[in-house]
Amino acid sequence: MSYIHFPVIAVMTLFMGAFLTVVLGRHSKGVRSFIALAASCVSFALIAMLVKPVMIDGEIISYWMGNWAPMSGYAIGIGYEVDQLGLFFALLVVTTILLSAVYSIRYIEKDSSQDFYYVLFLMLSGSVLGLVMTGDVFNMFIMIEIMTFTAVGLTAFRNTSFGAVEAGFKYLVIGSIGSSFTLFGIAVLYGQCHTLNMAQLSAMLYGNHSPATLMAFALMFTGLAVKSYIVPFHTPAADAYTTAPSSISMVFSGMVNKAGVYGMIRLVYIIFRTVDMPSVQTLIVLFGTVTMFIGVTMALAQHDFKRLLAFHSISQIGYVITAAGLCTSLGLSAGLFHAMNHTLFKGLLFLCAGAVLRSTGTTNLDQLGGLSKRMPKTTLCFLVGAFSISGLPPFNGFASKWLVYQAAYEKAVTTGNIFYAFVTVTAVVVSVMTLASFIKVTQAAFFGQLPARLADVEEAPGLMLLPMYIMSLLCVGTGIFYDKVYQYLLDPAVRAAFTVSNYIDRMMGDGYAEAAGVEDVFASNPHFSYWNPVIWLALFVIVFCAAYICVVTSKGSRGQILSDEGGAEDGKYATFFSGEKALPSHVAGSDLFWGFKTDWKGYFRVMEGLHSGIVNDYALYVVAAAAFVVVFTFAFLR
Amino acid sequence: MNFSLIGALQILFKILIFPGLLFVVVIGLFLAGIDRKLVARMQKRVGPPLRQPWFDFLKLLGKETIVPHAANKAVYLAAPVIGFTGLVVMALFIPVFGYSTFSGNGDLIVLLYLLTIPAVALIIGGSASGSPYAGIGISREMVTMMSYELPLIIILLSVARKVGGSALCFSLGQIVNWQASNGCLAFHPALIPAMLAMLLVIPAEVGTQPFDVAEAETEICEGPLIEYSGAPLAVFKLNTAMKMFIMTALFTNLFFGGVSTASLIGAGIPAIALDAVIMVLICIVVTFLSMSLIHAITARFKIEHLFKFYWTVVAGLAALSLVLVWFGL
Repeated sequence: MSYIHFPVIAVMTLFMGAFLTVVLGRHSKGVRSFIALAASCVSFALIAMLVKPVMIDGEIISYWMGNWAPMSGYAIGIGYEVDQLGLFFALLVVTTILLSAVYSIRYIEKDSSQDFYYVLFLMLSGSVLGLVMTGDVFNMFIMIEIMTFTAVGLTAFRNTSFGAVEAGFKYLVIGSIGSSFTLFGIAVLYGQCHTLNMAQLSAMLYGNHSPATLMAFALMFTGLAVKSYIVPFHTPAADAYTTAPSSISMVFSGMVNKAGVYGMIRLVYIIFRTVDMPSVQTLIVLFGTVTMFIGVTMALAQHDFKRLLAFHSISQIGYVITAAGLCTSLGLSAGLFHAMNHTLFKGLLFLCAGAVLRSTGTTNLDQLGGLSKRMPKTTLCFLVGAFSISGLPPFNGFASKWLVYQAAYEKAVTTGNIFYAFVTVTAVVVSVMTLASFIKVTQAAFFGQLPARLADVEEAPGLMLLPMYIMSLLCVGTGIFYDKVYQYLLDPAVRAAFTVSNYIDRMMGDGYAEAAGVEDVFASNPHFSYWNPVIWLALFVIVFCAAYICVVTSKGSRGQILSDEGGAEDGKYATFFSGEKALPSHVAGSDLFWGFKTDWKGYFRVMEGLHSGIVNDYALYVVAAAAFVVVFTFAFLR
Repeated sequence: MNFSLIGALQILFKILIFPGLLFVVVIGLFLAGIDRKLVARMQKRVGPPLRQPWFDFLKLLGKETIVPHAANKAVYLAAPVIGFTGLVVMALFIPVFGYSTFSGNGDLIVLLYLLTIPAVALIIGGSASGSPYAGIGISREMVTMMSYELPLIIILLSVARKVGGSALCFSLGQIVNWQASNGCLAFHPALIPAMLAMLLVIPAEVGTQPFDVAEAETEICEGPLIEYSGAPLAVFKLNTAMKMFIMTALFTNLFFGGVSTASLIGAGIPAIALDAVIMVLICIVVTFLSMSLIHAITARFKIEHLFKFYWTVVAGLAALSLVLVWFGL
């Protein structure tokens, strides 16, 4: 039973790492990197060791700090409770931390004040890991605060670059408003229930809502939604992801906004258990659908590699929220699966963007081009990430998006509500637009013609490529063996979200949930019999080989493939200009999709006006959305 | 052991001969020939012989392959083959009425995504060639894809709702079986708008005039294909022909899935052969209606008009069907 200490030790290791970096790592680069790597490896190992007991044996770990166990049915101390849902997110967090720490070693070697970087990085990591494993709402708030302020620091880390401080300021303002909502909600809840323990709150609030707790729900929902950057709270995310170092952008999209998503799922599925109400489902799905649509259309209009990825992050979180809000086991599986895949492919894409930035010094898509000649390995990784996020089979994005469509349409036909059919259509269209904007990056940055300025850029170093390779492999692997992912990770997590009584009993003692009248509503297991990706991959390989042999043999009759490599001056091969002297004529990012942009001129004009860059406007959106949620809660929740 | 060998041979037969590779290639090139002949006759030309697409294909295979200076060689050469592979795999998911490689499979969402693979292969290949004309071409191809994807998903959802009722049904096999007992979907009034929309989606998906903005020979010299020559170009041309058959076969299964002969003369090889013949006949009619006829009587769209046309007229038709089906018609 020694593993019950692992969650706390994993969180403490990361915070200790931050402390040790301050004490020991001020002057030596080696020590700093070693501390960061060691801390992230240890926490990764500790969390990975929990997979067997929690995911496979179905145990829920509960841990009372200082052994302050509940007395006469009231939780007093701070409790850590790791159920399958929490562990699922914890695994995402530690994977992201480890890969980002490896990537950081070479990536930030030219930056100044690296010790601050590692301190903030480790504190951010520790706070997010703590957030997904804590069983106490106030502890959760503290973790959110640490997360927000370290994230602000890291956003403004490259404070010599254009916009970094501005982005940090926006993040600070919007993040603080979100935290305040959360704190206000928690305070109202404490006033009502006199406890801060999630399990006990869940038992007390089950089917027992007063106006005050509804207010608390609305405020906490808004606060956590701000942390997951769904529209209209997405505005600081775009700037923050763009200006932060890429290793941190990866952390932001891989785990910081997942922390918000986790908080929302925990809130609506466990603490308040309001997700069974159709009105709450409508609210969440509405937010999710708007998020995915606005995110992707904004991404189509971007000219900056990282800003484009940032808007895609927002859009993909929309998928996660939509699927989770359907409140079916298929829907939540789809949401969690997409959350996991988003961590993998978006992390990969941010790392590719970082490699491009490090090699070329810019992420402006109108100044890049032809990098596949100079950076073939990065290009390969980027293509894997781009195909995954666009949902092409057999990559992982396809598996999870497929589940999202199935879940949304299942909801539509079983409830007979045409709104969910509309959601399904939107999800598919958004997926095509995602593909479009990644085609844009592919064309603008990696293919096309290499500008003379970039003629001698170098491939990223091995230590940066390693995390990219690992993530690429994971993207393909989880797509092909998705039934295994479902069996070992998703199914336990979904079961945990639907069996509230287990969560309560493990923390507060057996029979506590039953006494409070908590009933579990576990929907039937989704069935995955429509297609078998392994067979499909085998087919793909067979046919690919056959076709490739055909092409090669047909060439064999004429000798080798002719290439005009080195012969660009030869008129015969100067093919673009029919024998004229070739001028550089790269089709850059902003030249693409003209027809689409023309037809949507009006829409883009409105969006441009709304994303004014003025933080006052953005704060107004947050407050307005909070007001909307409060009004919606009081008007429709029953 | 013996049994599994026969099983493996059967699967191999299905993948390589019928209804896989060979069948799709032969019928695809046949349909392409018919299309050219029909268009020529409507324009008062004699037109090429039916075997002309074959001759073109074989001729291109024998030509030299040139890789431009600015191209990424590996991606440039692999792209046509990936598109080809995607199409063959898709053919395995489309049943010839009751007969398919994977019984009961053919999930509509999987098909929707497999359909994007050839288009993405064309885009990536064109992009990898480095030519500015290809750059313009892939931009247009992508916008075309965004245009027809919206009506296509609404059509598929309408069919799924009609067949499944209040249960989730995305299986093409199930849709065909439902039609065998309840009559073809083409004769259900609520789905007629969806059928018309599908007839308009097919030419955009295949890329025939007036929806061939991406390849527009007269403006941007075949766009993504501009740099291709020899065997890769041959494979891309073959892909277009195969797509013709796959799209028309999908249409046949979705809207005329109930005309299988198996119920008349019982299961067995003759029934499958007859089914295949009927299917090809319907495909020819659909090719005429959706591709040849429209090709012969219209001129090419501009890209922004194409986008608007699909998101208003075609998507509107499809949405009308969805609403009608939703309210039980």
